[in-house]
Amino acid sequence: MTLKAAKDEVYLDLQRHLFKEARMLSAERYDEWLSEILSDDIYYRMDMPQRRFREDKSAVRAPAKTPIFNDDFASLKVRVGRYKTGFVWAENPMNASRHMVSNVEVFETDEQDQFKVYSVVEFHRSRLNSERKRFTVGREDRWVKSENGYQLLERLMTLDDSVVLDSNMNFFL
Amino acid sequence: MENLDDLIDFKTGRQKRLIYSDAEIYDQEMEKIFGRSWLFLAHECQLEKPGDFIRTYMGEDEVLVVRQKDNGLKAFLNTCTHRGNRLCKADHGNSKSFVCNYHGWSFSYNGELTGVPLEEAAYQNNLDKSKFGMIEVAQIASYKGLIFATFDEKAPSLEEYLGDMKWYLDVWLDAMPEGTELIGTAMKVELPVNWKLAVENVSGDGYHLGWAHAGAMTVTAESDIAGLSVGNSDVDNESAISVAGMNGHTVLAALDGKSGYAFYNEYQMAWDYLDQNRATAVERLGEIRGEKMWGSQINFTVFPNLQFLPGLNWFRIYHPKGPGKFEMWTWAMVDKRMSDDLKEMILNNVSRTFGPAGMFDNDDGDNLQAATEQSRGWRTSQMDIYTNMAMGNEHSREGMPGVISEGLVCEQNQRYVYRRWLEMMKADSWSDIPFYNNLEEARATEDK
Ligand code: FES
Ligand SMILES: [Fe+2]
Repeated sequence: MTLKAAKDEVYLDLQRHLFKEARMLSAERYDEWLSEILSDDIYYRMDMPQRRFREDKSAVRAPAKTPIFNDDFASLKVRVGRYKTGFVWAENPMNASRHMVSNVEVFETDEQDQFKVYSVVEFHRSRLNSERKRFTVGREDRWVKSENGYQLLERLMTLDDSVVLDSNMNFFL
Repeated sequence: MENLDDLIDFKTGRQKRLIYSDAEIYDQEMEKIFGRSWLFLAHECQLEKPGDFIRTYMGEDEVLVVRQKDNGLKAFLNTCTHRGNRLCKADHGNSKSFVCNYHGWSFSYNGELTGVPLEEAAYQNNLDKSKFGMIEVAQIASYKGLIFATFDEKAPSLEEYLGDMKWYLDVWLDAMPEGTELIGTAMKVELPVNWKLAVENVSGDGYHLGWAHAGAMTVTAESDIAGLSVGNSDVDNESAISVAGMNGHTVLAALDGKSGYAFYNEYQMAWDYLDQNRATAVERLGEIRGEKMWGSQINFTVFPNLQFLPGLNWFRIYHPKGPGKFEMWTWAMVDKRMSDDLKEMILNNVSRTFGPAGMFDNDDGDNLQAATEQSRGWRTSQMDIYTNMAMGNEHSREGMPGVISEGLVCEQNQRYVYRRWLEMMKADSWSDIPFYNNLEEARATEDK
């Protein structure tokens, strides 16, 4: 299937949404994220990769990656609910976070009001003392246009690292 | 090297904090503990066909575990016998040979050196290839699906090493006739933590649950099952036990038969599975294990670095990388007979609770990291700290191995883990390391 680029107007609109979402997530405005950005039917997934030989065929029997986020709206709400308890000690004091979103591409899909959006996120976190953590992922999104504007319907990501280099992933990408 | 007895005192539950930061002590651990213990390598299910391999570690030594043509298992140092390059860079896979990237020596998956580029011209045919095969571990063995190996040819058999811990391990490993499996791939996290702090935490620290994990506990449904309720003041001594005194291995277990699934958003599918298979479990394991333990939340620690938790269903190994660092690998663990739907639900729950982005696991890292860093100061490294909760409650129970104390909030298990640590650190060879599987034996060997 060849992908058809979305109109410039749609592209700009969705890019604006991605940037707005990034700012929201960096500021940990998770309630707004849930209500304004996510569709109630959201599927949010991030896989962790393994390093396999290119020629290896055994991945058919044994998976080469495993989901570390595999969430729907209800479970994302639980994750957000945890932060809201005020008992997540690792996040107090607040860590400084930046979501940098780039390489945005927007395509039309078979569904008239749905768009496929590729992007790359580089996520920085400055934590206690000299700790600086960095994660990168490629994202494959599906956004839907509804009366309330664009909403995120699906986000598929694979973490670039095969070993996580932080003591938690108390964030969303 | 410090006087070892100054580092640990079993009777008072004391540890000197130097053990979490000192490089010399760490080097000794690599030799005396990781160089001699039976260390977990892989689950049999991960190596199904000849040539299937997994790259893992024994201490800091990289090891390749490979399924052989005759269905046997071998484990090799993942290093080329020519000039020492790493042989295999993939984490997992299938291959009939391992070819070194440096000069191209190739090894069959049975370890034999089969190919040497320019053998005739460069070595003038003087190279005895049979002497340069991959280096095998000293012993490799499986216990009901779990593959272990040791670098010490004088180590006791795996069965003897596990001792009566086997009785408890069977609650997961042998409850169902088809056995168990690990699903998904290893979820890996590197933490700036001394490995012992992570092991002691899961071995016996029910104390931190209500506070360190208060956020996750609060939002997780049904978190009041089996005394696992929010707030560490709530101690339920009746329905749970801490078990230790089995050659360093420990168990933390609820006894209600279903609390393992307490942290699941939807536990009904799991509870149905327990109902449907309870009779089989009781038939195979008897009343105590089949009725009370199977389905309960249980923490298993196989000394020194393997831990797995039926119920929450995560399975984890810690690979030390220096006194202040380790890599932990976590898998989801299931019974083979579970439905695909239930397996998938378990995998998801492991990701949500104890994976790298798990709501519970993400509470532990910073505490353990800080305890490691805070043991590095000139003054803090000389400090003593204690696991002295619930001292003197140790007893034996009819029909159950090990030394037992009531409750999950109790530091008995940690004391026994550190006791084993000291026994191994002090011993010149395996013949100096005591074996004990119950209170009487544990007391008799205490001052050895
Ligand atoms: S180091 Fe492996 S072939 Fe030379
Ligand atoms: Fe914990």
